[in-house]
Amino acid sequence: MRNMEGEYFQPNEMTFNQPATENFEDATPVLGTHCPFTIESIPLKPLLGDTPVAAVDISSIKIGETEIGVLCAIRGAIVWKEKSRYKYLRLGPFPFHITEENKKEIYNLFRCHYFEVSEGVSAPSLINMQTRIGNLLERWLQLGISCSAHDSIILWDGSLTAGTVDSPVNVISQLLEIARNRLNTVLAFSKTTNLRLLGHRLTDLAEKSKPPCLLQINGFPIPSGPVFTLGNVYVAKLTQGICSFRLDIDKKVPRERVIEAVEKLLGSDLLIQSYPETLRLAHIFSTFTATEVIGIQRFIAQQYGLKIIARPNVRRLLFGPFGKDSEG
Amino acid sequence: MRLYKKEGSTIQILSFPSDNVEKGDYLLIEDPRVNKKLITQVIDVQFASVPGLLEELLRDSTTEQFVYGEIFDPLEVSSHMNHIQDAWMLLCKIRGTLENEKLGVNVSWLPSRSKSGITKFFISSLLTHTRDNGNLPINIGETKEASRFTINAHDLDGKLNIVTGKKGTGKSHLSKLLVLGLIDYGAKVVVLDLNGEYTNLGFSSNGEKNEYHDRVHVLTPGANLKVSLPQMDLKVMLNILVHALHLPGTSTREFRRIWQSLQQRRAFTLQELGEAIRNWKCNQHVRDALFSRYYSLLNSGFFTDNIAEATTFEEFFEETQKGGALILNLHDVSSVDRQIVVEYTLGKIMELLSQWKIKAVFLFAEEAHLYLRETYWDDIVTRMRHFGVFTTFVTNQPDTIRENIYRQADNIFLFNFTNERDLETVSRAARVDSETVKSIAHDLPSHHCLVLGKAVKDFPMVVKVRAFDVQTMGQTRLFFTDKN
Repeated sequence: MRNMEGEYFQPNEMTFNQPATENFEDATPVLGTHCPFTIESIPLKPLLGDTPVAAVDISSIKIGETEIGVLCAIRGAIVWKEKSRYKYLRLGPFPFHITEENKKEIYNLFRCHYFEVSEGVSAPSLINMQTRIGNLLERWLQLGISCSAHDSIILWDGSLTAGTVDSPVNVISQLLEIARNRLNTVLAFSKTTNLRLLGHRLTDLAEKSKPPCLLQINGFPIPSGPVFTLGNVYVAKLTQGICSFRLDIDKKVPRERVIEAVEKLLGSDLLIQSYPETLRLAHIFSTFTATEVIGIQRFIAQQYGLKIIARPNVRRLLFGPFGKDSEG
Repeated sequence: MRLYKKEGSTIQILSFPSDNVEKGDYLLIEDPRVNKKLITQVIDVQFASVPGLLEELLRDSTTEQFVYGEIFDPLEVSSHMNHIQDAWMLLCKIRGTLENEKLGVNVSWLPSRSKSGITKFFISSLLTHTRDNGNLPINIGETKEASRFTINAHDLDGKLNIVTGKKGTGKSHLSKLLVLGLIDYGAKVVVLDLNGEYTNLGFSSNGEKNEYHDRVHVLTPGANLKVSLPQMDLKVMLNILVHALHLPGTSTREFRRIWQSLQQRRAFTLQELGEAIRNWKCNQHVRDALFSRYYSLLNSGFFTDNIAEATTFEEFFEETQKGGALILNLHDVSSVDRQIVVEYTLGKIMELLSQWKIKAVFLFAEEAHLYLRETYWDDIVTRMRHFGVFTTFVTNQPDTIRENIYRQADNIFLFNFTNERDLETVSRAARVDSETVKSIAHDLPSHHCLVLGKAVKDFPMVVKVRAFDVQTMGQTRLFFTDKN
C-alpha cells in the first residue's frame, strides 16, 4: 500500500461481492449424452454426536482504482462448531494496492508463502489479481485447518477442482492428504454449478429424492486437460426444501467414510436448505458489506493520504439510467 | 461535516459523532466561491442511511447471541468501518444568510455541495448579529456554550407572549425572571397567580427580604383586596353578573335600573343594594335571580362597605412609578370568586389605561382558561393590546389557549413537551415551522426552553434558564418528604 501515498483514487461504486472473473469451480466438462453413467441415490441417517465441523471462506472486493493500479481488499473467515457452540476467527480486511510493477511480487509472495514453493511464476492480469490473491488466502486457511483439526469435518466453499495456477494439483492433493492423515474429511460445497446431465442441471437431479440423501454420479469422465477434479462429484440434498448442492468429496476417501462423514455432518451441524450453518457463517463473516467498503476506502484515504476523485462513469454518461455497471 | 441534500427549507448534512452536534445547534455553511454563508439550525439528528448497514447489524446480532470469536485486524480497518456505521444525518432548517457579516433572509441561493465548508455557529456569535440597539437586557440564562443569554425588554413591550411546557419543566420560574426583569426597567406588571407561586417574589430563599420586596405587592381577594361599590363601574359590575354569575338578560336589565337608582340616591352600599333588590317592583323570579347573585357577591368577601378597607388600584400604580408587580393571589379562591376578581381587575386596568392614568401593563396570566371568559381571548390580542395590556400566557395545557393566540403570539418560550398532541398545538405558532417545534421541544431537558419569535429575531434558540435567589412557592406538597 505504501507505493501510493498522496495519489488520487477513484472509489469503486457499490457493486459488492463481484463474482470472480476467473471461475474454475466448474472447470469440469459438461457430461455429454454419449457418456455412460449411472446415478446412485444414497440415503443418509444423521449420526448424532459432537464431531467438530470447521469451515473456511474468503471474500475479495475491489475498493477502487488509482492512476497506476487497482485497490482491493480480502478477508478470510474460519468458523468451527464445537460442543454446540460456533466460534469464528476473522482475518482482515487486508487492503492491497496492485500495480503492474508490484503484482508479480505480491502474487509470488503469497504463492511461495502459502504453497511453500520457491519458483516464481508470472502474475495474472491486474483485473484477475483480486480473485487470485483471495484464492491463495483461502488455500492457506484450508491448509491451516487441515493441519490443526483432527477427526473433523472440514467444509470448503467451492469444488475440488485443481490444475489452475493458484490451485496446483500437487498443492490441493497435499491439502487433502494432510486432512486425510489427520482423519479429517473435506466436504466441498458449491453453491452454484454449471454441470449438466442430459441437458439438466446437475443439482436438479435431486429434486424428487427424499432427503437426506446423496446422489452419486458414476462414470464421471476424467478430463484430459490440465484442470480436473480431485474429488467425486455428488449432489447433496440434506434437508427438505428446494435447494441441493454439488458436493465434492476427496476421491481417496473410502466410500463408507464418505457416507459416514456426511451423516456426521447431519448429526453435528445445523443444516438449513441443505447447507451447513458453519459454512454459511464463514461466508457471512468474510463477506464485505457496503459500509465496510466505505470504511476501507476511508482507511486508505486517511492512512495513505489518497485524494478521492470522481471519474466519470462512461456507461452512465452514455446510457443514463440504462447504464448498469454490473452488465457486461 | 458535508452538505448532502436540500429539500424545501430542510438541509441534510452528513456528520459524525466527533462533530459533537446536538439538536438546536446552529451551523454555518460557507460557500467560498460566492462569499455567502447559509445559517441553518439542527432540528434532528438521525443515523445516516449507509448502504449495507442492515447486513452489518444482522451479522453483529448473530455474533452477539450465538457465535463467539475474534477478529485479527492488524491494520485496524475495523475502527474505520465502525466510524461509518456511526455516521449521522443532521436535519437542518434554513434560518437565513450571512453576507458581508450582515444577516439576511434571502435564501434563494444554494451553496456548493463539493466546495462548501460547514462549521458550528455559536449562539453567542449569532446573538451579536441579531441584537439591535436595544439596551434593556433581561438575563434569561445561558446558551449551550455557557455564554449569557439575554432578551431585550423591548421585545416584550407591546407583545403577546406564551410560556408553555409540561409540568415541572420551569415555566413559572422563567415567568418570574421575566416579571423581575421588567420591574427592573420600571414596568408595571400584574400577575394573575393561580397557585400563589409568585407571592414570595419579594423574599430570598433564606426568607429574608430581597431587593424587590418593596416593589412586589401581593393582593389576596377577601383579605387585602376588597372593593367598595362606589369604586365599581356599572359596566364592570354587569360583566361580573353576566359572565361570572351568569345572570339572565331580563334580570340584568332590572339590575341596571337598581344600580342607576342607587347612584342617583348616592346610597352605594351592599346593604342598600340588598334593600333595593328586596323592594324593587319586579317579577319574583327576577328578584330571586338578583338575590342569588347578590349573596354570591356578598359571600365572595371581595366587596366591602368600609371605604378605608377598600383597595384602589390607582394607589398601587402610583406607588410603582419606578416599576413594580401586583400579584393577585388566586390560590384558594373559588372558581366563581376568581372570575369576579379577574373581571374587576381587567375592567379596572382597562379603565385606568383608557384614562391614561397608566401607560401600559404587562399582564402575566397563569392557566388563564380557569378564569378568563371566552370573549377576553380575542380582546387580549386585539383591543386590550392597543390600550396597553401586554399579556404573557403561562400554561401547561397548550390546547387551552386558542389557535389565534398562537398565530398572533410574538414570542413563545417553549419548554419540554412529550405529548404529541401538545406539540401539535404549539406548532401552530406562526413564527416557526412545526417540525422545529415538534423535534426540538420533544427532547428539551428540564429548565431548558426554546425561545421563538421576536425576542430572538426569529432564530429559535435553546436556553438553559438561570437560577435566581427567590423563595419558591410553586412546589407541590409531598407526603413522602423524608427520603431516608
